[in-house]
Amino acid sequence: MIRTTRRKFLVASAVMAATALSLSVMPAQAFSPRSAEVGVTSTGIKLGITLPMTGSASYGYNQLPGAMKAYFDYVNANGGVNGRKISLVVKDDGYLPKKAISNTQDLIAKDKVMAIIGALGTANNKAVASAVNLGRRGIPSLFINTGFSGFNDRKAFPTSSTILPSYIMEAKMMSKYVKDTHPGKKVCLLYQDDDFGDDALVGFSKTHGNLDFAVKVAYPSLSQGVAGVPDSWITKFKAGGCEVQIVFGVASATLYTILAAVKAQYAPKWILGSVGADIGSINPATVPYVIGTTSMSFMPSTVDPKDEYVAQFKEINTKYNAGAKFTSWALIGMNTAFIAVQALQAAGKNPTRKSLLAAIDASGSKFPNAALVPLNYSKTSNVGLNGYWFGSFNKTGDLVPNDTFTYTVYTTDSGTGAVEKSTYSRPAMPAKGLPN
Amino acid sequence: MFEFINTLLIGITAGSIYSLMAISIVLVWRSTRVINFAAGGLALASSFVGAAVLEKTGSFWIALPLAMVAGAVFSAFIEFFFLRPLLKRSGDKGAEIFLPIIATLGLLGIIKTILSYIYGERIGSLPPPLSDKGFIVSGESIALSPMRILILGIVLLLMISLTLIFQRTNLGLSLRASSFAPEISRLAGIRVDLIRTVGWAISGAAGATAGILQTTNGSGSVAPESFEFSLLLVFGFVAAVIGGIESLVGAVLGGLTLGIILAIILMYVGGSLVFIAAFLILILILLLRPQGIIGAKGGRRA
Amino acid sequence: MAVVHKLHVTNKHRFIGFVLIGLMVYILSNTVDEWKAFQGATIAVYVVAIASIILLTGYTGQISLGHGALLAIGAYTAALTQIYLQLPVWICFIAAVLVTSLFGAILGSAAARLSGPYLAGTTLALAVGLPSIANQFSFLGGEQGISFDVGWPPLSLGEAFTQYKWFFWITSLAALITLWWIQNLLRSRYGRTWRAVKTNEVAAELAGIHVARSKVLAFTVSAGIAGMAGALLAATINNVSPSAFPLALSFSLATGAVLSGVNTLGGVMIGAVALVAIPEIASLVSDRWSGSESVASLLPDFIVSALLILTVFLAPKGPIENFRSRHVK
Repeated sequence: MIRTTRRKFLVASAVMAATALSLSVMPAQAFSPRSAEVGVTSTGIKLGITLPMTGSASYGYNQLPGAMKAYFDYVNANGGVNGRKISLVVKDDGYLPKKAISNTQDLIAKDKVMAIIGALGTANNKAVASAVNLGRRGIPSLFINTGFSGFNDRKAFPTSSTILPSYIMEAKMMSKYVKDTHPGKKVCLLYQDDDFGDDALVGFSKTHGNLDFAVKVAYPSLSQGVAGVPDSWITKFKAGGCEVQIVFGVASATLYTILAAVKAQYAPKWILGSVGADIGSINPATVPYVIGTTSMSFMPSTVDPKDEYVAQFKEINTKYNAGAKFTSWALIGMNTAFIAVQALQAAGKNPTRKSLLAAIDASGSKFPNAALVPLNYSKTSNVGLNGYWFGSFNKTGDLVPNDTFTYTVYTTDSGTGAVEKSTYSRPAMPAKGLPN
Repeated sequence: MFEFINTLLIGITAGSIYSLMAISIVLVWRSTRVINFAAGGLALASSFVGAAVLEKTGSFWIALPLAMVAGAVFSAFIEFFFLRPLLKRSGDKGAEIFLPIIATLGLLGIIKTILSYIYGERIGSLPPPLSDKGFIVSGESIALSPMRILILGIVLLLMISLTLIFQRTNLGLSLRASSFAPEISRLAGIRVDLIRTVGWAISGAAGATAGILQTTNGSGSVAPESFEFSLLLVFGFVAAVIGGIESLVGAVLGGLTLGIILAIILMYVGGSLVFIAAFLILILILLLRPQGIIGAKGGRRA
Repeated sequence: MAVVHKLHVTNKHRFIGFVLIGLMVYILSNTVDEWKAFQGATIAVYVVAIASIILLTGYTGQISLGHGALLAIGAYTAALTQIYLQLPVWICFIAAVLVTSLFGAILGSAAARLSGPYLAGTTLALAVGLPSIANQFSFLGGEQGISFDVGWPPLSLGEAFTQYKWFFWITSLAALITLWWIQNLLRSRYGRTWRAVKTNEVAAELAGIHVARSKVLAFTVSAGIAGMAGALLAATINNVSPSAFPLALSFSLATGAVLSGVNTLGGVMIGAVALVAIPEIASLVSDRWSGSESVASLLPDFIVSALLILTVFLAPKGPIENFRSRHVK
């Protein structure tokens, strides 16, 4: 007995020692000795992103990194940023906050990136900001793909910035649109049961958009895939006699809603939130169902024949993105990369995390880019875009403003300010889409 | 009232899909006394086969049977190459009951990663073959459509034909005999090993049907990293236990019961409870009526 | 629960062993970089979690595929204790253990009437269902969760002392104490009772052992340890959210237990290290030989699953017992 116990312990200790050894023998991560800043060497700049690449919430969004990389490759092929080539480390978080946290820890401690860029999701980024303590550690998380207004707090999130217009803005604009175009109709709402949806509720509230709903349904994230769940939403909406149906959810939830509505022959006037509207690119079979439904965007239409950015980005996409379709998310991804390159250029000859953040504060609002609404970065604001235009899906499932591609753009704030027509005129694109 | 009837109809459709998964679990349980946690993965793999066939031939009516064949082959393969040697080896009376469970979990992981590797971000498309638009009753569309009637029909057909096989044929007799008394069956000249593989194969076919119908009834598309299929397994298991885990009719009733209860909870209580509800129903059933809703009296000590 | 420790000579040996391991961890923490310190902390969390499964499965024969849910209860308890009662961190850990034990006692009462596949399936349903409750009640923080903060390392440890190293210390200390306690428990009257129940329920019953009560007790203790693991996990990620406790966590803990060998506590390190090292090795392999992102993200799961099946076939009693039965007999 004693012998075996001791042996057991010997084995256990041996394993422990072996672990210790293997941990310390594993090759140290590449780290440039000359670099003064994490993620920046004399030849390269390393950026990172965490977002859902797989799972039911990944549809659409998983096209972002490919487009971003394509644009970086295009810049790298044309000399890079001050001679440095930009690389992007992509991590899949499956839209799970816990995974986003550990991915971000990986990106910072293991991959040693200079900054996180274009990370996606409200809950994920809130969890990351508090758990990884980005602010205190001075690590930039730039152009986050969320419209959650809570990030608009420079004290709490000193190193984070968002790029999408806030969900409050979106909900306020929807409220005005519905009241203008469908006065007196019964309106119903489907929204995600977290901060993403709560932000929308603020936008629809009495003090903001002031839109009343006959039926409101909140769905927990990921419940949309359970058999019968989307059918139950539709049953509730139908019972409430809804005439205008707003869907404020991720793409998979929108997809399931539309399919369940077809089954139940529920045909309200649809208004799909910008986050989840692009369902035709997930499942081409659904394109016929979305023709004519209303949605909104801040970017030019991906099929706009006369937009210089769309033409240029399309070309880059064809050349550097291995046959991927040029979708609305590809356009957003490429635009984010385009803005990031300008920020890195503005951060000086030898960019640091500090100078990068300072550059965005100082000149972020002046970066030319494809969006039809202005960027609002400044010393006091870390919120990106602030407006939308309304359009509808055409026969090919692409969102267009009208046949002539003339956009009526609205703008507002995340407070109680009015929704107004935008007077912003977009600066011309730098030659060949290469900022200098 | 309309709302309530629709809720019931939604529950019945969802429940009939759980029933198929429950049938799949019950068949494996009856033949080898193992819960096959890889059943969800097998259903997923078979659905991809179905989607591929549909893409090639354009016909759902070819895709469904071929997916069932694929499910049967996958399932028999697993039984033959993994479970059979494992159960032979650890013959010491259930002491190692942990091992088959873990083995099926490992297989689940392997199936999922292989599918993800093959399909990556692509999805398999399985649109409904019949109209899934609800019938109109007194001016209102109800939650019953030709497609849903088809789903119910397939479930009933499978249940009835499997029950007949089990009760009226030699194969069924051998299946039952080798699960209840393998040693005696062997002495009686039944090829127990072969019979068990057949049991697994039928189970795989039922699981494939569940996968195909789940996809067709849901988003019409299937992805390798599908949370839906994990849930399908859990709900199928709960349905099987509600039905007493031994009986095919029980599995179907269990599935329908679960589907209806979940639909009612969704409609009248709240969406967030749908995941935990299955667990609570399971615990209640196990504590109050461990033999299942139609099972005979007896312990629940596998 | 009063545990009577019988001090054998071997117990002294074991104590020295524990101190040595602690010393090794201490030296290790001073030599590795930030990233490896974090991995070390993760290993320590897994050690505690896997030990709780081994205690349950290896020593009493009950199977849980839902330990992730128990970790979740521990983690939420710790965070809620900190947020709403503002109690010191170490009390949060104790609260996590107590509340999870209580839950374990309730679940165990149901579980004692089940066995084998039923218990596995029931705990599986729990693992799927429980985390989603966070969406139902706003004080649980919904999808993004709530924070649990063990604080920054005290300044007296120096400027260069990173937070990850601090996590490494806390989790390793907790793991060592927990293991020490478990192995003493297993040597006590309770441990012997459990083993008797596992070996032969009927014989144990005849020998006057209250089988059901003994199983409930094992479930309670296992749950308490799982609660501790949950609180530690929350500490290392500073956050508690439903997504920290997916079905995959329960599965990988079961995997870790099988790789460690469910029948002996001695191998607990093997499973914990494997769970952390496999993704690491997989990414090295895929970097070198394929460079494909999809291979890099799929390979860890594939290796874990394949190892699981190999272990079941080649070393069903775990690598250590396998080794022992081959060389000692």
